[in-house]
Amino acid sequence: MTRSAWAALAVLALVGAGATLLAGANPLAAFAALLRGALGGPQQIAETLVQTASLLFPALAVAFALRAGLFNIGADGQAVVGGLAAGLIGAAWPGAGALSAALAGGTLAGAVWGALAGALRARFGGSEVIATLMLNILAGLLATYLLSGPLRAPGADGPETATLPASAWLPLLAQDTRLSFALPLAVLLALALQFVLARTVYGFELRAAGKAPEVARRAGIDLGAVAFSALSFSGAIAGLGGATIVTGVLHRFNPALSPGYGFIGIAVALVGGLEPLRIIVAAFGFAILQSGSLTMQAFAHVPRDVIALLEGLAIVALAARRAFVARAPVPP
Amino acid sequence: MDAFALELRGIVKTYAGGVRALDGVDVTIARGEIHALCGENGAGKTTLAAIAAGRLRPTSGSVTRAGNAGFVPQHPHLVDRLRVWENVLLGREPRRGLRLDERAAREDVAALGATYGLPVNPRARVETLDAGAKQRVEILRELAREPALLILDEPTSALAPAESDVLFDVLRALAARGTAVLVVTHDLGDVAAYAERITVLRAGRVAARFERGAQPAAIARAMIGGELPALAARTSRATAPCFEARGLEAGSGAEALRGFDLEVRGGEIVGIAGVEGNGQRPLADAIAGVAPYRGTLHLDGRELAPGRPAARIAAGLRTIAADRQREGLILDWSVLENLALGDQRRAPLGGGLTLHRGAMRDRSASVVERFDVRAPSLDARVSMLSGGNQQKLLAGRALAETPRLLLACEPTRGIDVAAAALLRSRLIEARNAGVAVLAISVELDELFEIADRIVVLFRGAGAGEFERGAFDRARIGAAMAGVRGR
Amino acid sequence: MNDAFAGAASFAALTLVKTAPILFAALGGVLCERSGVVNIALEGQLAAGAFAAVVVAGATGNPLLGLVAGVVAGALLGFVLGFAATRFAADHIVAGMGLNIFALGACAFGIVVAFRRPGASDEVAALGNAGEAALIAVALCAALGMHAFLYLTPWGLRLRACGENPAAVRDAGLDPARLRTIACTLGGGLTGLGGVFLALAELDLYSDGMTAGRGFIALAAVIFGGWTPLGAAAASLVFGALSALQFGLQRSGIPSEAMQALPYLAALAALAGLTGRARAPQADGVPEERRFD
Repeated sequence: MTRSAWAALAVLALVGAGATLLAGANPLAAFAALLRGALGGPQQIAETLVQTASLLFPALAVAFALRAGLFNIGADGQAVVGGLAAGLIGAAWPGAGALSAALAGGTLAGAVWGALAGALRARFGGSEVIATLMLNILAGLLATYLLSGPLRAPGADGPETATLPASAWLPLLAQDTRLSFALPLAVLLALALQFVLARTVYGFELRAAGKAPEVARRAGIDLGAVAFSALSFSGAIAGLGGATIVTGVLHRFNPALSPGYGFIGIAVALVGGLEPLRIIVAAFGFAILQSGSLTMQAFAHVPRDVIALLEGLAIVALAARRAFVARAPVPP
Repeated sequence: MDAFALELRGIVKTYAGGVRALDGVDVTIARGEIHALCGENGAGKTTLAAIAAGRLRPTSGSVTRAGNAGFVPQHPHLVDRLRVWENVLLGREPRRGLRLDERAAREDVAALGATYGLPVNPRARVETLDAGAKQRVEILRELAREPALLILDEPTSALAPAESDVLFDVLRALAARGTAVLVVTHDLGDVAAYAERITVLRAGRVAARFERGAQPAAIARAMIGGELPALAARTSRATAPCFEARGLEAGSGAEALRGFDLEVRGGEIVGIAGVEGNGQRPLADAIAGVAPYRGTLHLDGRELAPGRPAARIAAGLRTIAADRQREGLILDWSVLENLALGDQRRAPLGGGLTLHRGAMRDRSASVVERFDVRAPSLDARVSMLSGGNQQKLLAGRALAETPRLLLACEPTRGIDVAAAALLRSRLIEARNAGVAVLAISVELDELFEIADRIVVLFRGAGAGEFERGAFDRARIGAAMAGVRGR
Repeated sequence: MNDAFAGAASFAALTLVKTAPILFAALGGVLCERSGVVNIALEGQLAAGAFAAVVVAGATGNPLLGLVAGVVAGALLGFVLGFAATRFAADHIVAGMGLNIFALGACAFGIVVAFRRPGASDEVAALGNAGEAALIAVALCAALGMHAFLYLTPWGLRLRACGENPAAVRDAGLDPARLRTIACTLGGGLTGLGGVFLALAELDLYSDGMTAGRGFIALAAVIFGGWTPLGAAAASLVFGALSALQFGLQRSGIPSEAMQALPYLAALAALAGLTGRARAPQADGVPEERRFD
């Protein structure tokens, strides 16, 4: 790590310590509680790995789009739509194959949600930043509407569907934990994306469009097709993530299945330098923060929002490393 | 107190990585003097000019100025959407209370234009102006601050010969009023006419100093430090039909092409001459397929459809883009990956799901060798290469396989003489091998060297065609300026 | 007849109340973007303004001090955005996203620290009806004032030039980086004022999530309004009216989510060019290229 990276890390540690003191707690005790909560035992590690998978999907989605020079800020909404589709299909699918159908449906739904932004960008040059942001919120509204009325589980306290039948559950990796095959799925996805980006013709064209759209255009690359496909794939990845949360963790659909993971995913993607393999490591690091923060709140009495606070600062610091984000300007 | 407007002593400028752009340069400019700074691309002229203007600090050495320095860059730094008066008076706007006094501003700008002989329309939006008018606005903006020294970087590059003459009259009048003028240029045609003293830079050092009346040939020799490298020989051969444009309409505004016809045969180099902004860009973009047009383009008898660059590449068109850093190369990528751009879908580099890295390496090694590209390795980032080497990469990529039609836009812009000579030789060799070459260049001398035929573009229309052996500089220059008739 | 008039009047009043925070935020965004900095952190700035206002008003019992605190909070966030974007050439979108997450997290954290319970603060001294009306007037005047500032004053001219071509501004002897940072700071303060309105005029307390996406609606208003103060004001009024309409339509069959969705759908329509080709400032989001460093 470079000197400025160490400096940034030091500043973050100081801010974290300061906030902890402000909350009337001991920073070291808080940090210890965090680590204990994340890695203190097999149950804890399993939970951290669950969080890793949940973060990995949106991070990969964001990174894939960013390599194409496009900003997908709507991974949460795509996850919601994906989870919704998975929940509906999983519940209604007759017989075997419910799980596969649910995952496929979730992926497709996420792809459609991403494709909407992609179409606006490809056809009209409309900013995908705004489009994905707006679609994010629209997805939440759609889910809330569907769940307060038509799809609400009978007898449920809050807006959520009924529990999925067992045929639509992602198998567990470890008994008595929430750790499911979502994690290996996510890791395989990362490997696949790495391969696509580095070794395929499609990945070559996508990277060219992301780095230098005018050069890519003159090299015969269809920028509109790249934008549309990249955002669609990005949405698909996020949608698959939502589907794994519904089938693997919650076993029902709840609109709050992706609380801000789409935004944290941006940080994870940037810390991983937009490289899928490094993103796996980054996701694990952020997962430690997420899963440990609950213990930190319970035992050291530091509100877990301090994590969001630090993550936000980290993202601002990362923003200054321009090498990562070469944004594609809107075509005329 | 000084009779000098500018005194530079021992200027050294070292960039990161140890590149020494300037290595101990002394220049003195008297008040009211017109001084020319000459040198080939990469000699350090622009760096020195920036230091003289106070835009850049030297690594060591001293800069003494009698007052402000105004700087007119080669490409305009104007706000397109604002009006002329807003651009000229930005930062010194006349006010009434808190409001902008628009009427006073327009009057001030009109008066300024009249005083210096640079007529402008204060109300016009800059985006509607042509290159000459934009330059006038830029000069007025600098003159509004009453500088002791006015620096112009390659001011004639976008002007017709007649417009250049007008500019020199303005500069002479300016000098007569006591403002010193420093013109940075590599165009030797006019230098001797207007400059009182000439400093020639070569490889970051002063190579020679001249006074008014010096021979252009002597100045050129000082710039290059020897004689020009020899060009490849032209072989005589039969030409075959290859490319045809009929009734081409493209672009907009004053440089729009209206019903332009062009034929380029395999085995010949056709040069498009003209001052920048007379239709070259619409022509190049239409042929490359990156801009819409009307009319027909045929390559090997098959019609090319508008807006399909990929199809053209498949049909055998290769392009050397006009702006290598923004249109031709991905600076963050390696030499290896850049050389694959354009051919990534076809064998041997592509043609399936994956890229064939082995074939990419072979191609890169071959290009680097044939075009003498100096790069640390094939995996080195292109941003680390010099301009000349980047341009060689561009040309090498275009000629990696023998294309049917090569569209070369400003093939040697902004590169050193040795690299330029090598590239021109490669173009001639391609022509000898039967490639149809269309070379668009604002450098008339370049076209004189390589072209079999020269077509002059003026305001989007053909203004004359000249065969090799009958390249008449005076007549071609007149055609470039729109002077019609025999 | 009187009922209808009274109904219309109360609808108009409700519209203005709903419009004010969006308008403040949108105007802050316009100032920022006109100078060339993309600002998607309006949501965080609103939250920070609301939170600071409540904390200070609660601690001092003086709502005016709370107002000042809210403006300062928004301005600070704006300053960080502008500084990061110019001094460090940070990507505007990423930095804005980070500021959003930071601000929302900091406010949630701060609630617990300041009020010893999560989720919501106590009720604090508010600005009252007179204060609410005054702020609404301020918002509308601010729209007109910003229009005059941008198009009729020298500083507005320089700011617009920064957003179109910062190189030209530097050539004119000015410092576009400084101008951009100042614009972001002032814009942030204006946005913070929107948060103050939410906390001290409309609702009298701070609670997690009270900004409810208004920052993003404001962003939609900026785009929908073509990046101009008057356009943003018109768009904000439209969105405010939609929000007010929601209340009236609560008993009809139209689901409230459909009404809430309208501003976002409008923004998408704007992206598809359905509101004409308004252009963002040419150098919006583009850091100044320093060729000679």
